[in-house]
Amino acid sequence: MSYSKGRILLAAGTALAMTLGLGACGGSSQSSANDKEIDFWDPYPQHTSGSDWDNFVKKCAPEGYTIKRQGLPQNDVLNNLTTSVKEDNAPDVVILDNPFMPTAVDAGLVTDITKNGVSSEGFDENIIGPGIVDGVEYGVPFGSNALGLYYNPEILKKAGVDPSSIKDWDSLNAAIKKVVDSGNKGIVFSGIKGEEGVFQYLPWFWGAGGNLKNVDSAAMTDANNLLSSWIKNGWAPKSVTTDNQSASWDKFLTGEYGFAENGSWWWPSAKDKGYEMVAIPSKDGGIAPVATGGEFMTLPYHKTENADKAKASAAVINCLISDDTLLKTNDTLGYLAGKKTVRDEQVANDETLKPWADVVSRAQGRTTDVGLDYEDISSQLSQGEQTALNEQ
Amino acid sequence: MTTTISETSIGEARGLSNKKNPKKRIKRTTWAAIGFASPLIVYLLIFYVAPLIQNISMSFHRFSRRTFVTGDAPFAGLDIYKEVLSSPEFWTTLKQTLIFVIVSIVFQYGLGLALAVFFKQNFRLNGFLRGVFLVPWLIPPMISGTTWQWMMDADSGVFNKFLGMFGMDPVWWLQADHALWAVIIANIWLGIPFNLVILYSGLQNINGDLYEAASLDGASSWQQFWKITFPLLKPVTLITLLLGFVYTLKTVDIIWIMTMGVGTSQTLATWSYAMAFGKGYSSTIKYSEASVVGTVLIVIALIFAFIYLWAQRKEEEDL
Repeated sequence: MSYSKGRILLAAGTALAMTLGLGACGGSSQSSANDKEIDFWDPYPQHTSGSDWDNFVKKCAPEGYTIKRQGLPQNDVLNNLTTSVKEDNAPDVVILDNPFMPTAVDAGLVTDITKNGVSSEGFDENIIGPGIVDGVEYGVPFGSNALGLYYNPEILKKAGVDPSSIKDWDSLNAAIKKVVDSGNKGIVFSGIKGEEGVFQYLPWFWGAGGNLKNVDSAAMTDANNLLSSWIKNGWAPKSVTTDNQSASWDKFLTGEYGFAENGSWWWPSAKDKGYEMVAIPSKDGGIAPVATGGEFMTLPYHKTENADKAKASAAVINCLISDDTLLKTNDTLGYLAGKKTVRDEQVANDETLKPWADVVSRAQGRTTDVGLDYEDISSQLSQGEQTALNEQ
Repeated sequence: MTTTISETSIGEARGLSNKKNPKKRIKRTTWAAIGFASPLIVYLLIFYVAPLIQNISMSFHRFSRRTFVTGDAPFAGLDIYKEVLSSPEFWTTLKQTLIFVIVSIVFQYGLGLALAVFFKQNFRLNGFLRGVFLVPWLIPPMISGTTWQWMMDADSGVFNKFLGMFGMDPVWWLQADHALWAVIIANIWLGIPFNLVILYSGLQNINGDLYEAASLDGASSWQQFWKITFPLLKPVTLITLLLGFVYTLKTVDIIWIMTMGVGTSQTLATWSYAMAFGKGYSSTIKYSEASVVGTVLIVIALIFAFIYLWAQRKEEEDL
């Protein structure tokens, strides 16, 4: 009897201890214990551990430090950063998509990078623009990507379209029509709801003379009409309303489409397939401004400060953007450098990058002029576009 | 004398020990009970009560990304509830949610029951075919959702190819106005296995003698279904409908993967998800509004749980 009683107590005690252990687990989410390990987040999960980019980043660890790199899906970086700053276990360097910069600054997630000695001297103004909020520099990009109008030369040849004839919206429409009339499919783009769709929408909006400070305008109507007419005419697939840029690119890779609006990050694979690119035309002629793409390197805010580690983290950023490595950084990621001198070097090494470099030089920051208001502006543009694309 | 003394002392000793021991025993068993219950209680507190309280608390405070980080969101009382409930978007979304849930459940249950009755007969390949019907349940929603999106593609999907064979015009399934029906179709497909499995096991518990007696009395199989199967299946039906209701009410995955909740396919659950994580049109996170919608969802689910309890009690009283 006493034996079984003892067993009951023992079992109960074990159960209680387990419970307490569980409770303890919940409370132990403090900041990274290792002072010599720099937590590095980027939105490039496709570059897995051991890849060129991974090795490249890790080589930038200052003496005595190691870098622990983590690739997160692009859409999750901001929300994960928000939670981690709140819980005081924020990473030490975060690469954040550029339109989110004002949001991150407003929420107090990132800090002034110049304080720890990061310098963006020599970078193009249009490219570093989104990282400067109220005159303070919160992030630096190593480069930018941009949107262009890819085309399939075989299909255009068959349709009798000369790509250099595409100078404005009318000539673009005429070209797409010829392609469709010759029995091929016209154009693919990404009209998905949210920021990704807006990124692809802006060249048309800006190309029609649109201004982010005044969204509800003739330019919005023009851009909406252009894109929705492609669907109504059967030139673009109806799935553009739900396709993201990857899905849209997959459609273009089938080789059935004449044109695709997509990003410079596909250029290496596009070149292999023999695809070429022209700049996106604006409504009445000339190259339409595209939005600067790409991400900013930031130093997140830590409730518990560690000055040495912040300095070391800043050194990692400086390493990735220093003149010697900037070229390699951009080549590794397939970006165009944020410094004109380095970009020229990239073009000198690879002539085919020339049209992309031209587009990047003209690109505009989404948040540079409107700051935090961009969240609402983007949402309005997205709703307007979705409504237009869903018309039957 | 000595014996009496010793007896009484023994008796006293016994009395003492009898008085002491039960007290000790109760205490010990109570402790043991607490010890055994504590993992469950702590588990419930951490994973059920705390998030629930957090959710309700968030719906009473005006959160933005900044105040979420700093933790000093101002108290807003019922203001956010008023704002959300007075917005036309809420009522449209509620209507869409109810259509989604009710139509889904009616068809899931109807088809699930028909299949369960069908599989109750013994025939070859019965087990195999029943297994095939479970497939929707086994496939991750990420995959089935994407597959449905492909099948419903307006330009090259198999649905429209099929309609084309009968000379019908292609339908733009995932277009904003049609999206609700597209996700309902996919969701019905997804829910049939669940209904089939539960109703099938319910059928196994119905005494076969009843059918034998009924057929001797000359009841047709239609009569047998309505007079025997359906009434005896009522308790199982009730729990199937309740679980189905709750599952369907909180469905996000299949809708989000197919349409991102565009147009009519926005339900309270996808709306709440989009606001909480800045995943919809806007990347602005609206924790408070999302929590309000979350609370509304909980209330709706609770109402139906109470209806279930009431129906179950009534059922027991009738017996």
